Amino acid sequence: MRYDTCLGCGGRLNERVKESAVRSLAGQLASRTRYPVMYRLVAGLTLCGICMNQLPVMLGPSCPQCGREGSQLCSDCHNITAETLQSNRSLLRYNEWGKNLLSTFKYRGEERLADFFAKLLTIAFYRYYEAIAFDCITTVPLHAQRLQERGFNQVDLLAKRLSADLGIPVRSLLVRTKMTAQLSKQAGRTARVESMEGAFSWAGERVQKNVSGSYRVLLLDDIYTTGSTLRSCAKTILAHAGPHGSIYSLTIYR
Amino acid sequence: MREYLLYIKTGAEKMLSAQAYVTPCFAVDQSFWQEREGCKLHVIGKSPSLALAFSLREIVNARLKEQYGTSHPMSEEGLAELRELAVQQVRETAVLYGRDMAGVEPPGPEWFTWETGDWSVSVTPEIVEDDGQKLKLRLATSTIQKVLDGRALLWEETETLLLKREAPIHDLTAVLQRMVLSERAQWRPGIRFAIKKSWWKHRLEMSCERCGSRAKDIEYTVCHSCGQGCAYCTVCLGMGRSKCCTPYLLVPATREAASDEREAGRKTARLHWSGSFSRDQAVAAEQARRYVANPRPGLSQFLIWAVCGAGKTELLFPSIEVALSTGGRVLIATPRKDVVLELAPRLQRVFPDARVIAVHGSSLEKWEEADITIATTHQVMRYYQRFPLVVLDEVDAFPYHNNPMLERAVARAVKLEGKLLFLSATPPQYLQKRLVAERKEKLVLKKSKLPLLRSSTHVLLPGRYHGSALPVPRIETIPGLYKRMRANRPISSLLQIVRSTLAEGRQLFLFVPRIDDVERVLAYLTTFFPDLASQMAGVHAADPQRDEKVRSFREKRYRLMVTTTILERGVTIPRSDVVVLGAEAPVFDEASLVQIAGRVGRSSDDPMGVVLFLQAERAASPKAAVRQIRRMNQLAKLQEAQEERA
Ligand SMILES: [Zn+2]
Ligand SMILES: [Zn+2]
Ligand SMILES: [Zn+2]
Ligand SMILES: [Zn+2]
Repeated sequence: MRYDTCLGCGGRLNERVKESAVRSLAGQLASRTRYPVMYRLVAGLTLCGICMNQLPVMLGPSCPQCGREGSQLCSDCHNITAETLQSNRSLLRYNEWGKNLLSTFKYRGEERLADFFAKLLTIAFYRYYEAIAFDCITTVPLHAQRLQERGFNQVDLLAKRLSADLGIPVRSLLVRTKMTAQLSKQAGRTARVESMEGAFSWAGERVQKNVSGSYRVLLLDDIYTTGSTLRSCAKTILAHAGPHGSIYSLTIYR
Repeated sequence: MREYLLYIKTGAEKMLSAQAYVTPCFAVDQSFWQEREGCKLHVIGKSPSLALAFSLREIVNARLKEQYGTSHPMSEEGLAELRELAVQQVRETAVLYGRDMAGVEPPGPEWFTWETGDWSVSVTPEIVEDDGQKLKLRLATSTIQKVLDGRALLWEETETLLLKREAPIHDLTAVLQRMVLSERAQWRPGIRFAIKKSWWKHRLEMSCERCGSRAKDIEYTVCHSCGQGCAYCTVCLGMGRSKCCTPYLLVPATREAASDEREAGRKTARLHWSGSFSRDQAVAAEQARRYVANPRPGLSQFLIWAVCGAGKTELLFPSIEVALSTGGRVLIATPRKDVVLELAPRLQRVFPDARVIAVHGSSLEKWEEADITIATTHQVMRYYQRFPLVVLDEVDAFPYHNNPMLERAVARAVKLEGKLLFLSATPPQYLQKRLVAERKEKLVLKKSKLPLLRSSTHVLLPGRYHGSALPVPRIETIPGLYKRMRANRPISSLLQIVRSTLAEGRQLFLFVPRIDDVERVLAYLTTFFPDLASQMAGVHAADPQRDEKVRSFREKRYRLMVTTTILERGVTIPRSDVVVLGAEAPVFDEASLVQIAGRVGRSSDDPMGVVLFLQAERAASPKAAVRQIRRMNQLAKLQEAQEERA
């Protein structure tokens, strides 16, 4: 079932106010040729005009590697020696509203939010990765036990919708072999990087390279915090895809 | 993954009281029956879907009732027929679920897994000596029973609460199943379903066992917890996911107050209050107290109808006192968290020896035991037949009047034979019909009959504590109200009241129907009163600075507040006036407008004040609100006259 009220404020979706907000946001996000696609996507967001204007979209310059706001390669990326991700891109700044909405989706289990979040990912895709010919979409898996407790993998719900929108197939390439604590419960950056070491293993079939011999994977997650989860996933995929593989990650929040 | 087994229990020889049971641990059931009676257990089948097992139990029980009466022996053919019935039901459920989920892949080979059982077990009664194992189990059961006493919880919540209380939970399933079999608890699936048949189409009807929501409020989900066709409730989601595969446990409070507890009750009930009642208040409070103290069963509901500013909280003190003194727990439920937070310390002060807790979504005291519990109405869903006295404050303020979810939750929290006290300034029609009798004789006003001031089911306080009449709102119709506003054309009665109220050093509430009106009206007023801009503010439900702005308004740093209905109650400011802009909008119903008008003239040093309803077109609600206020004033006068005569 679709929402009929604004996900930002719970108020009415006033079409008249919304129209100008949609135009302005779509215009900022897309090149002139892609404007119609972007317009359709943005108009589909369940937000009123006021909240749409306040959507924390990262429009300025960003780190070419991880997508963090800033004008050059950020210090975190600078320090990474073995980068496994081609690049990461995210659409929104992770503010208080985003935190609440994402936890309603993920932890409370409000699966109806999947449509909204998937739309945000699709917007991010058109903004950043449209030119890349992906062979498949894959997601960061949950540990089997966590999946059983939670009942669903929030990112899988998004992947399914994205796949239908973009016509790129979803493949389960990974399983999670290590149970890791919730992000917020982990001590620090180093602890997180270490805990992600070897957390995943390969679950896909033999890699089918396409005609040009390359294998491009779109790796989805809800948020990029330190990137260690995504890099660990990418490492496992690369180990099987060989030198022709390239992994691009896309998240809603940064 | 859990599995739920469906079996029929019959007497050893005959079909005496044949009944179907669902169990997650068949061995526990076997030993339970063994300790009690000889019987036969016929397995029908098992499934990982709790909701499916329960829906099958229902139809099997119905079939048992209609076909077998009480004395037919249970034949193998009869059993085969029942097993076939279950299989058909599963098949049809899967088809209907799959139809609703068209285009979605099930997590397993099918939407519902059902494994037919074909064996029966004879249980011979046997007195088993208490060994260490049994003793441990019995001890665990009594601890767990005590912690869960009077609560209704989802499985995850049950575990969390027991862990918090350091109760032993390693055998939890077995302990709970024993409680269920001995009828000290019930359990159900969070979401239940049944096949609804009509002549043109069969469909799967789902409903939430916790909050009662159904149909479009129940969302289907591909569930990796049970691997079956599953669904969850979107309405009570904020309190944990109620799903087809989540057990929902209801444990009625069984405990009768022991004599030492009654002794303790006498102590916790000590009322420490130095205030005094007006004559009318005293009568009303006594009436309510007598209702609560009356042990006669059947008197289950009572309404205190007190106009805004009648001092309704104090009226409760004697009732709470009498409930506590018999060793009982008291629940006060109110729709809003701010009221919970305000009431808790107030009641703690007047009942210094009682333990008072405030229960709302983010409250840390949520799981504790208390003599007086003050909770938001949502949290009331977590109680089950727990309180001998439940007070429901502002029954009309709940988003939807006559809300079945609220009614159901509150009614469930009352202990059997307990008392339910409604408290309201504007009781909804259905409640008036149920509890308030009308005067028989013809009175001054022919059009509207006046209600009685008291009966065995209600008491009415038509006058304010300070004795002055309620300010009667003035209604004004302004054609093209919104167009004028957009065009920044003057609306003279609005501008005039803003000017005069602020000039007299008073404060003004300006109510608008919609969130987006707040900014618009502020902008409009700023064009006419540019130098007052810093003294005006706007607030709505989703405003992150809401609390701060209201505080500033209380402290007179703002003089004019544009607001949606969120401030219609609770916030009272001395020396203030009220304007409702767009009083014809549906959000302003009669009750809401009466409450809004009730903001004005609350303090005894300023009992008057202006209330203005501006409407874009003629509407029924503003008129009805004025009529209601007039009636209350009329009743208050009548009451005064009667008392003078007496
Ligand atoms: Zn909004
Ligand atoms: Zn970077
Ligand atoms: Zn519910
Ligand atoms: Zn389930």
